[in-house]
Amino acid sequence: MSSIDGVGLGLRFAFLDDVVDAIAAGTRLPGVAFFEVSPENHMRRGGHVPAAVERVAEHYRFLTHGLTLSIGGLDPFDRAYMAELRRFVERSKSPFHSDHLCFSGAGGRMLHDLLPLPLTQASAIHVAARIREAQDLLGVPVAIENITRYFVPGERSMDEADYVAEVLDRSSAKLLLDVNNVWVNAVNDGFDALEFLRRLPLDRVVQLHVAGHDRSEEHGLVIDTHGADMIDPVLDLCAWVIERTGPLPVVLERDHRIPPLPELLIELGRVEAAYARGLAAHARFARGDA
Amino acid sequence: MNADDATRFPALLGAVASLVRAPDVEARIAADSKAFFIEGGLGAGDAASLATQGERRLLVYRKLVRRGLTAAIRLEIPRTAARLGPAFEAWVERFVDEEAPRSHYLRDVAFELVAWAAPRWATDPEVPDYLGDLARHELTAFDVGSADDDRGPTGIELELDTTARFHASVRLARHDHAVHRLLADEAARDVPAREPTALLAYRDADHEVRYLELTPLAAAILDRLLLGETLRSAVVGAASARGEALGPEVLAGTARLLDDLAQRGALLGGAS
Repeated sequence: MSSIDGVGLGLRFAFLDDVVDAIAAGTRLPGVAFFEVSPENHMRRGGHVPAAVERVAEHYRFLTHGLTLSIGGLDPFDRAYMAELRRFVERSKSPFHSDHLCFSGAGGRMLHDLLPLPLTQASAIHVAARIREAQDLLGVPVAIENITRYFVPGERSMDEADYVAEVLDRSSAKLLLDVNNVWVNAVNDGFDALEFLRRLPLDRVVQLHVAGHDRSEEHGLVIDTHGADMIDPVLDLCAWVIERTGPLPVVLERDHRIPPLPELLIELGRVEAAYARGLAAHARFARGDA
Repeated sequence: MNADDATRFPALLGAVASLVRAPDVEARIAADSKAFFIEGGLGAGDAASLATQGERRLLVYRKLVRRGLTAAIRLEIPRTAARLGPAFEAWVERFVDEEAPRSHYLRDVAFELVAWAAPRWATDPEVPDYLGDLARHELTAFDVGSADDDRGPTGIELELDTTARFHASVRLARHDHAVHRLLADEAARDVPAREPTALLAYRDADHEVRYLELTPLAAAILDRLLLGETLRSAVVGAASARGEALGPEVLAGTARLLDDLAQRGALLGGAS
C-alpha cells in the first residue's frame, strides 16, 4: 500500500523552522526518510506554518496521521472537517491516512484525547462501519492505530488483540501498529507484549510508531507521554515486527520535552538501528536461514 | 447492533465521557464508583467491571484531558492566563464541566474558552474588567497569524462605487480598554486605560502580525468596507453616523489611510 518505507519523524512546530533552515542550507537531515504530519495542526490555516510545511513537502514525502477523527464515536462525521481533511491528504500525497482506534468526544463535544472503546463485538461492528464511511469520505485507505488505554469500558467480550483483528476483518482498514502503546498496555495490564503482537494480523500492518513514555507515580501507571527517549524493549518490539513484515515506514513520535533537533536525530538513529536489525533478520527469514 | 447493544454501546461511551467532564467526579468515584456508573445508565455488569479498575485508572483521562486543554489554551492567551493566576486553571475546569470544546482543532479551544468565559469574567468582581479585552487581543494575534493566505493586489482600482478587497488576515478589533499598550511581559501587571479602542490587525509579507490604531471615523469607514459596502457608501455612512461633516479633510484622510493599507498589503484593491 505504501511506497514509503524506512525511518521517519513526526513533524512538530518545535523544530519545523530547523528543518526549513536545513533545507535552505542544502542539507538533508540524516536518517529522516520522510515526515509524518498531523493534518489538524495544519488544515484551515495560513501564514508561516503552512508555508514552512509546504517547503518541507518539496523535499520530503509525507504520511498523514490524524488526531480527531473519533473513529469510534457516535457523533456523525463533521462534513466540513472531512472535506478539509480529504483536501489535505490529497495535497500531501499520503498513500493512506491514519488515525486512532478510539473515540474523542460525545454529544457534539471534542475532548482532544484518545478515549478507550469497549472491547465488544458491537463496538467492533460500529467502528468497522465508521472506517468504511471515513474511507469513502476521504477517498484514501484508512489505517487505524492501536492506542494506549488505561482502562477498558465495561465488560469485555474479547481481548484487545482479538478486538483489533475483528475491526480489521470487518473493514478494509490497515493497521498502524504502535509498539510503544503495546508495551505500555502490557506493563500496565501485566500481559506479554510479544504474545500480543503474535496474535495480530501482521499482514495488515502498513506503518509502525515508536515513542517514549513516563512512569507516573500520580496515576500508578505508565503513561504514553511521547515525552521521553525510547526504551530498548520498545525498539526490540519494532525490530521483531519488521523481521516479520519486511520494509515499512516507522515513525518516531515526540510531543513533549522535545530536545533540539540534532539530539532528536540521534534518538532517531536508534530507531534506524532497530529497523536495520529487523530488516536483516527479515532477509534471513526470507532466505530460510532462521 | 441489537437492541441491547444499541443502548449499551452509547452508555459505555457516555460513561467514559462523564468521567472526563462531569462535575465532582472525584468525590463520587471515591464514594461509590459502581453507583456512579449505574446512575449514568450502565448495567450492573458493566458498572461493576468499571468499578473494579480502581479510582486512579478511572480518573486518568479526566486529568490528561484537562491538563492538555489547559496547556493548549495557555499557549494562545499566555498573558491572560498569567493575570488570572491560579484562577486560570479553575476557569478551564469550569469550561470543561459546563461547556467543553466542540472544534476538531485544538487551536480553536482557546477561542471557545474565551467566548464562553468573557461574559462571565465581565460580571465577576474577582476578574479585572479589562481581561476579556486582553484575551480577545491575544486571540486576534493568533487568528491573524494563522488566517488564510491570500493573493496579491487585485489590480483593480478602488473607486467610489467599488467595494474593497482586503487581505484575508485583516481583522478590525474593538475593545473597551487600550490593551494593546500593555506590557508584553507575562509577569507585568500594568492596567490599561479604559478607552474605546479600534485596532486593524493584519499579517505582513513576512508573516508578522501588525496593528494599526484607528481613529473612530477611520474605524467606522473600514468597518463598512469590510462588510462589503462601496467606498462611497462607507465614507458617507460613517461620517453621517458619527455626525462628522464630509469635508475635504475627511476625504483626504480616507485616501491616505487606504493608500497606507495598500502599501502594507492589507488592502488588495477593488473587488472584481
